[in-house]
Amino acid sequence: MPRRKRYRLFLFSLAIIFLSCFSLFSEQNLHRVWAVKDARIVTLSGPAIEKGNLIIRDGLIEAVGANVPLPKDAETIDGAKLIVYPGLMDALGQSLLKFPEEKLDMARIRAGDFTDKDRGITPGLAAYDFVNLGKAAFEKYHKLGFVAGHVMPDRGVFTGRSSLFSFSDPDKNKALVLKDICLGIGFSPSNFLVYPNSLMGVHAYLKQAFSDAVYFDQARSRWLKDPKGQVRPGYNPNLEILADFATARKPVIFLCRNQNDIRRALGLAAEYKLVYFIADLGGEAFEVIPELKKSGARVLATVTFKAPGSSLYAQRGRAEREKAEKEVYPKNSARLAEAGIPFAFSSLGTDDPKAFAEGIQKAIEAGLPRDKAIEALSKTPAAFFGLERALGTIEPGKIASAVLAEGELLAKDTKVRYAFVDGTRFEFKEAKPGEGEKPTVNVTGKWEMAVEGQMAMNLTIEFAQEEAALSGKLLTPFGAFDFTGGTVSGKDISFEISISVGGQDLDLFFSATVEAERMRGSVVQGGAGSAEFTAKRIPG
Amino acid sequence: MKFKIAVIGILGAFLSLCQSLWVSAAEKPLLLKNGHIITVSGGTIDGGDILIQGTKIAQVGQGLPAPAGAETIDLAGRWVMPGIIDSHSHIALEGDVNEMGDIITAEVDCKDVINPRDINIFYALTGGVTSIHTMHGSANPIGGRGIALKMRWGKSAADLIFEGAPLTSKWALGENPKNSNDIGMGPARYPKTRMGVEQSIRDQFERAKDYIKKWADYEKKAKAAKESKGKIAPPLPPKKDYRLEGVADILNGKLWVRCHAYQSEEMLSILRLCREYGVKLVCFEHGLEGYRITNELVKYGVAVSTFADFWAYKWEAYNTIPHAAALCANRGVLVALNSDDAERMRHLFNDAAKTVRFGGVSEEEAIRMLTINPAKILGVDSRVGTIEAGKDADLAVFNRHPLDPFTVCEMTMVDGTVYFDRARYLADMKKAEEEEKAKKTPEKKSGGED
Repeated sequence: MPRRKRYRLFLFSLAIIFLSCFSLFSEQNLHRVWAVKDARIVTLSGPAIEKGNLIIRDGLIEAVGANVPLPKDAETIDGAKLIVYPGLMDALGQSLLKFPEEKLDMARIRAGDFTDKDRGITPGLAAYDFVNLGKAAFEKYHKLGFVAGHVMPDRGVFTGRSSLFSFSDPDKNKALVLKDICLGIGFSPSNFLVYPNSLMGVHAYLKQAFSDAVYFDQARSRWLKDPKGQVRPGYNPNLEILADFATARKPVIFLCRNQNDIRRALGLAAEYKLVYFIADLGGEAFEVIPELKKSGARVLATVTFKAPGSSLYAQRGRAEREKAEKEVYPKNSARLAEAGIPFAFSSLGTDDPKAFAEGIQKAIEAGLPRDKAIEALSKTPAAFFGLERALGTIEPGKIASAVLAEGELLAKDTKVRYAFVDGTRFEFKEAKPGEGEKPTVNVTGKWEMAVEGQMAMNLTIEFAQEEAALSGKLLTPFGAFDFTGGTVSGKDISFEISISVGGQDLDLFFSATVEAERMRGSVVQGGAGSAEFTAKRIPG
Repeated sequence: MKFKIAVIGILGAFLSLCQSLWVSAAEKPLLLKNGHIITVSGGTIDGGDILIQGTKIAQVGQGLPAPAGAETIDLAGRWVMPGIIDSHSHIALEGDVNEMGDIITAEVDCKDVINPRDINIFYALTGGVTSIHTMHGSANPIGGRGIALKMRWGKSAADLIFEGAPLTSKWALGENPKNSNDIGMGPARYPKTRMGVEQSIRDQFERAKDYIKKWADYEKKAKAAKESKGKIAPPLPPKKDYRLEGVADILNGKLWVRCHAYQSEEMLSILRLCREYGVKLVCFEHGLEGYRITNELVKYGVAVSTFADFWAYKWEAYNTIPHAAALCANRGVLVALNSDDAERMRHLFNDAAKTVRFGGVSEEEAIRMLTINPAKILGVDSRVGTIEAGKDADLAVFNRHPLDPFTVCEMTMVDGTVYFDRARYLADMKKAEEEEKAKKTPEKKSGGED
């Protein structure tokens, strides 16, 4: 090669390296060797190391211990004021999923031309296909200590399949840890005049579906083994997917809205010999501890602490309900821990990581030991999904997934300074209090709201805004419903209202942008999709 | 509004007490003394006593001595009747009581959706109701399975189930299954005529017969394969079909049919169909025109579970009269008065009184319509429905005769356990009210808004 050409090649390579530095996150380093020196290390694989070193090389933990030598090629982080924890994992969430918006074709509905999706039968729906990873989302998680999330669609009866992502790279193929792990099963009837549109119908449907899937699996493998003399069984894409779960080759996740759902799930799991998790969306696992214990169930506990409409607390009126939500439901995970029921924390029901972390803090305040909480976010979920040799503890050979915090993790004022995710370092400077922008509007007062589309109706809503905090009351034809915990950020408002009609719970998520005396936004109801709305201020 | 919230709050606080206070273990013998005992099976015993041991009535009579260690309740002239049995109810179920998504839904089962925390169970007790038959709605010619429950408030779903009671299949004829009153949002659903409703049932019977045959053939082949010791390959079993299994259970008599119907013509028509297939049709639900076909009802032994004076809420419910229950009873039809409603459930004794007032039935017959008759319809008459030695101690105590318009249910027990006691209820309400007041007082002092 002539010298000149070689020189040009050298320049070209240099340019590539230079450019790629810019394209990478600023937090990332090309250098992939780190040594955290003199930190307290909560390994979860053994007792905590009071003063030790952690060595990370090429995405894996190379060594950890009190007297581990620091490699010469490592970039050193002084851990003297830091505590190292295994990176936290959300054991079940859906907020990272983004589905394309679809308009409901009412002509089709009227004609009775229903799809499997209308029925809530979407086992083919894969979280992998709809996950929406991004740097902004990652940062929110990292700052709270979360480095991985198990994501699953959560609507319908067969809700779809889950995947586990590390929050390391916006490219989902790089971030993916495991694909199509679990199948979600919800006890949510269809909203349309199509089977199954009642809870008892859903239960019966599930039984038939499990039975069909096992039959499909047996008939097909029998025919494949020796087709001679046998009628070829028909093909069904849903049954093909279900077969893996109905024959216990893969686990299902029962999305249980209350303790009755949990009992139903345990019954179905026993009858069809399923491998399963109980996602305790209603936070009532504490009511079924003997049954959970007896069946060896594994629980994915939520931290929303809302009394389901079927609970006595809710039926006894608002005061009792609120009291229970303060005093009874937050103790759920503490009681699971006490009973020795394996559980991991799920963010379902909390749409942002901050609310999830706050919920976990509440559970700790309600009596859950902090170390059990950390375990329920690391070691336990890792084991649940068969990743006990890859994640969940700080041990040599495992994926370098760790968070370094100034103080105890999940304590209110603790700041996470570094997160190692798949061996990539993310660093956080002094965190500023208050996430959102300052409000530039004040919506206090009465508003007339017009919901559009299929569920078109007019409602009145009263807001009370104090700086960024929003509360109020929604007046509907079936009663008035109070809400708190809403937020105002710039011109955007968002709030959530739980209404209980005839023992059924509906969670409505509202978000809108305010312009002068008008606002426009959308309302999302868990199982039933979303609708647009506009509102204008009622003068006076 | 404020008052309403306060009342709900107090009620809530009070209800939180009742499970712990009232559910006493029925270990000690319990003697109810000095009441008017409406036994149903053997007249009314004035100044009568009932001795309860465990969950059962041990003895009924006058001047019964209290066994050692017995707890005694002095009835002081109160009236005791067998616990009321509401043979047509939809309480204690979670979610919709109708599976509307298909015409025939024999595979769905109320047992799967029992909600033991439904507060209506407690309310049932306040009206002297001790057992109910809770069932699928009437949207389908063949709907889901129903189940009899005992009002053991505070117990689990499994513990509410009336052990040993036959399971039922809910059918429906007329306007509801043919969707006459839909508002046109969804697609038109077959069947749209009364003829179609009956045909849709017949179709299922034929399918279920095929299904039964398929399985019988398979069993035969499987047996032959087993006996051939490997010479014949074992056959593939037929695919399991829970819906057809439900219909097959109707055909083989495992399920007792409870058929929602109003009009006499279609009742007769479905009677013929059931006879043709040998189906155990136990009872017409509502059966408002049953008084027109009493001979046939008696002949085929079909009961009527009906209302005392509730009709004309739709076209097919026009042709009845407040004498209907009495007319049926007088002609020998087994009649039960049911609620079909969580509110009416609390004063079924008033409804029974109406049959005396309007229809002229005897007081005894009116009480039977709430007790032994529904017990027979539910197949639990050997356990409940009368006050007799050996029967379950399911009792309702009233301050006056249960058919007196001013009567009030004061105490209800199931299996010898007091689940409702009005005196304690009122005392606890008062206590809760005072506690609530006490809680609020300091707030006012602190100058908060009123």
